[in-house]
Amino acid sequence: MKVLNIILNGKAVTAKMGQTILELAREHDVFIPTLCDSPALEAAAMCRLCTVQVIEGKWPKYVTACNFPLRRDAEVVTDSPEVRHGRKLIIELLMARCPTSPELQRLAVDYGCDLERFTPLNDDCVICGLCTRACEAVTGRTLSLAGRGVAIHVDTAFQKASTFCIGCGACVQICPVQKIKMEDVDGERRIILHGKIASRVKLPQCTSCGKYFGPVIDLKQVMERMGEHLIPPPNATVCPECSRRNLAIKLGKRYFEQYGVFEEEGQANAG
Amino acid sequence: MIEATQTAISHPEVAKITSPSGVELFRKELQSRLDPNAPLIIVCCGTGCQAAGSAEVVDKFKQLLSGTDWNGKVIPLVKPTGCHGFCSRGPLVIIEPQDLFYQQVTVDDVEEIVNKTILNNEVIKKLQYKPANSKEVIPKASDIPYYAKQTRLVLKNIGKVDPTEINDSIVRGSYSALASVLTRMSPQQVIDEVANSKLRGRGGAGFPTGLKWESCARQEGTRYVICNADEGDPGAFMDRSLLEGDPHSVLEGMAICAYAVGSNRGYMYVRAEYPLAVKTLNIAIQQAEALGLLGENIMGTGFDFKVTISTGAGAFICGESSALMASLEGKVGRPRPKYIRSVEKGFRDSPSNLNNVETYANIPDIITNGGEWYRSFGTERSSGTKVFALTGNVYNIGLVEVPMGISLMEIVFGIGGGIPNKRALKGVQTGGPSGGCIPIPHKIPDINVGYGKLAEAGSIMGSGGMIVMDEDTCMIEVSRYFVNFLVEESCGQCTPCREGLIRMREILNRITQGEGREGDVELLTEIGNFTNNFSLCGLGTSAANPVLSTIRYFREEYDAHIRDKKCPSGVCKPLFHYDIDAETCTGCGLCKIKCPVKAITGEKKKTHVIEQALCIKCMECYKNCKFRSVKIM
Amino acid sequence: MSGTACACQEIECVEIEIDYSLLDKIIRDDYGGNREAMIMMMQAIQRVYRFLPEDAVKYLSQVIEVPLTKIYEVATFYASFSLEPKGKYILSVCTGTACHLRGSGGMVEHISKRMGIAPGKTTSDLKLTLETVNCVGACAVAPVVVIDEKYYPKANIATLNDFMDRLNAE
Repeated sequence: MKVLNIILNGKAVTAKMGQTILELAREHDVFIPTLCDSPALEAAAMCRLCTVQVIEGKWPKYVTACNFPLRRDAEVVTDSPEVRHGRKLIIELLMARCPTSPELQRLAVDYGCDLERFTPLNDDCVICGLCTRACEAVTGRTLSLAGRGVAIHVDTAFQKASTFCIGCGACVQICPVQKIKMEDVDGERRIILHGKIASRVKLPQCTSCGKYFGPVIDLKQVMERMGEHLIPPPNATVCPECSRRNLAIKLGKRYFEQYGVFEEEGQANAG
Repeated sequence: MIEATQTAISHPEVAKITSPSGVELFRKELQSRLDPNAPLIIVCCGTGCQAAGSAEVVDKFKQLLSGTDWNGKVIPLVKPTGCHGFCSRGPLVIIEPQDLFYQQVTVDDVEEIVNKTILNNEVIKKLQYKPANSKEVIPKASDIPYYAKQTRLVLKNIGKVDPTEINDSIVRGSYSALASVLTRMSPQQVIDEVANSKLRGRGGAGFPTGLKWESCARQEGTRYVICNADEGDPGAFMDRSLLEGDPHSVLEGMAICAYAVGSNRGYMYVRAEYPLAVKTLNIAIQQAEALGLLGENIMGTGFDFKVTISTGAGAFICGESSALMASLEGKVGRPRPKYIRSVEKGFRDSPSNLNNVETYANIPDIITNGGEWYRSFGTERSSGTKVFALTGNVYNIGLVEVPMGISLMEIVFGIGGGIPNKRALKGVQTGGPSGGCIPIPHKIPDINVGYGKLAEAGSIMGSGGMIVMDEDTCMIEVSRYFVNFLVEESCGQCTPCREGLIRMREILNRITQGEGREGDVELLTEIGNFTNNFSLCGLGTSAANPVLSTIRYFREEYDAHIRDKKCPSGVCKPLFHYDIDAETCTGCGLCKIKCPVKAITGEKKKTHVIEQALCIKCMECYKNCKFRSVKIM
Repeated sequence: MSGTACACQEIECVEIEIDYSLLDKIIRDDYGGNREAMIMMMQAIQRVYRFLPEDAVKYLSQVIEVPLTKIYEVATFYASFSLEPKGKYILSVCTGTACHLRGSGGMVEHISKRMGIAPGKTTSDLKLTLETVNCVGACAVAPVVVIDEKYYPKANIATLNDFMDRLNAE
């Protein structure tokens, strides 16, 4: 496998053919800020925060580190004044749209941003696309990026609560500004997006303690979407706590039976 | 060999051409049936002339001709053709064999033409062409400077062929180049010939076509040949006229490309706003397949090439190659970063050769006449010819094909006829929303048209839109218009383009409304340079060009708007008003008549006055005053 | 399209009868159920109903097995698609450069004011939809207005007033 000679911020290093600049930088403890990047998902290069300069021939060009594949010997500059100036503008523009991202706030300090420059847009989203990409990856079929241009926004089909959501919460976890919420209310899991209910997923009730737990996922459907033939575990009807307790009783009974200590305690269902 | 012979050119019977030499035989057969002295009535039926009623003109001709008693004379054939390109004079009618040119023909003129010209060989003066500001008639189409000064290579068949009758195209040479390729050339030889011509992509980027075909041919996997017919630049309609007027030149070019790169599958992506082009292409493909010139087993050689038409749905960004391919796959037209070229991974993640309509249309003649022939036109770095759509403040609005290297002033004055209404030329915008304004003649005396030269001047070649601007154009308003266009058409996925453009629009809106601030120009420049460097795709990386080029050449206009709160060109309504100059006003009263809100008062032969409170600044008085007494203040 | 707009002015209230066998013809017969042709299937469906009814889109999603949210993404991305019913007449003003320089912006404002709708919207009596289109390629006869696929070259305020007068008389 061909090895490439890269000069990374003045230091001579080697890279694998096709390796992205971001991967290489992380290998060598060079920090490049990112927003829309996630190790779990394919790079989208939408936020442009990770832009760096690369010189493969004569002229430097601006590329995004998250998805630029190194294929020739090159020089990479991750923090030139021009690059930093561009990142400063990205942060100022995104903060004007949605000022509550802790990561962006930290970066704003680091890059000396002037946060009064642009009139606020009062949105709760930085259009990083992570939630929609995560939803697509888990075949949630709920979120997508609707509209175009400045009207682009995360939405559900026809702006109605989705019936396809599997309630996995990946979108909630991955949102860098923590604006997607998950609430379990009255036996129903709700994903809240832009203040509206984006999906409702029915929660089963524990037949042992009566608590609501986990979403009901039609595993057969999920398997079909994944195109896999897995043997599904039987659907749970007791919550994880009861399940652990029942298992403990079962084991305990088996062991201590000889001492006649345990008696039947209500229903026990192996989960 | 031809399996069955044709009986008449206009009524083809089913015949399949089963060998490449059959094309030449068929062409000769058709040629032999052509009477060069046969009477023809050619009517331009491109979208522009149809909008002005040329379809009705065709119908009226057909109706009257069938009802006439010909006394044994030959009945003229009515031939609807694609866009001739002389759009400002449409609807156009050309009477053959005498090459008699009639302009602005309405359905009411048809009877007179039939009775006088067709039946009695009389010429109707009022329908003839006179250059602007001249009374001298030019009877023949080929003598009209607008046509005579052009170098019509790729447009040579438009206006001569009925695009819905494939035999018209064949007799003029269509598919002969393909036959020649299939008989005498290897794929590599085809690529070499195209490389030899130094043809550069006509869609705007100017990438060497031969090099693109070479890269595609080298890839592993199923190859696709794609034609970009998503001509989205406002003010550009070159591709439209090629598709409506000579579809076979484009199809043949695609087939030759497919042979060269090793593909059997072609797609033509046409924007939804061109329904006539889609219709014409479907007929053309059907007819070509029926004759064995496209589809399976072309000319009996075993080479397959099937072309499918796919339509856009109203997104300028789908002219960008990766967005186009996403749209072809039924997805949203969001561009993908171009770090892996689409010749490697494009449509369906497979090697794809994407070229513009005009690029493909040039290929057949390059094969027939040779790459060196093509290089005999144009310049060292920009060979061949280019079709431009000349619009704006110029007499002759329409399509012009000229050799690269021609001077811009020659296009505007020599072919375009100059600026109407005695106005001065201020500049020419090339490249549409991705381009810039070339400020001829006052700031730059002239410029020779070429990829490099236009880029040096801060613009780009673009797809061919060329907008002539006179002294009454406000360059800030022009920048604002283009930025607004891009705000609407941006896909929105990347921060610099989506956020940068709306902030630029905000600033330009303020400036045109009289709320410009010190520092606005610097901020526009900062954001503009940022979007040019940091955006994901070509739309974003060229979006700031109109703004940056107007700042470069027309800084004084920005200063006037921001510091003096004045619009010197009289466009931005809050920043000017009209006043009638007492010294030059003759009291003719024309402005008073033209004013739609009765804001002008005055007696005959006495100075007229505009009532400012009533004036809506519609420009009617200013445009119409023959003495230029209405002043912008 | 059957049904009337309800008095609350919510255009979503319009009742549409979906002809599923016609949808089958479009999706399966005309386009072979090929999801790459999805945009053209949607255009064909829109030609029938003059917009994209939700139930038709849901059916499309099921047949070609593309998630509903992805089709919604496509429908909201491309300017020619409409998720709201369009009016009896669709009036498109070309706002391409040549038309803009000849005053198309003023024409849009004029219609907007007179009919009380913003560009892209439909009057509440469902008679007229006002749209702008970014260049139809007929620049020599600018400004161009297209009403139901008929082109009006060199349009002006008077042409538009005539049309709107006739519309109000209906």
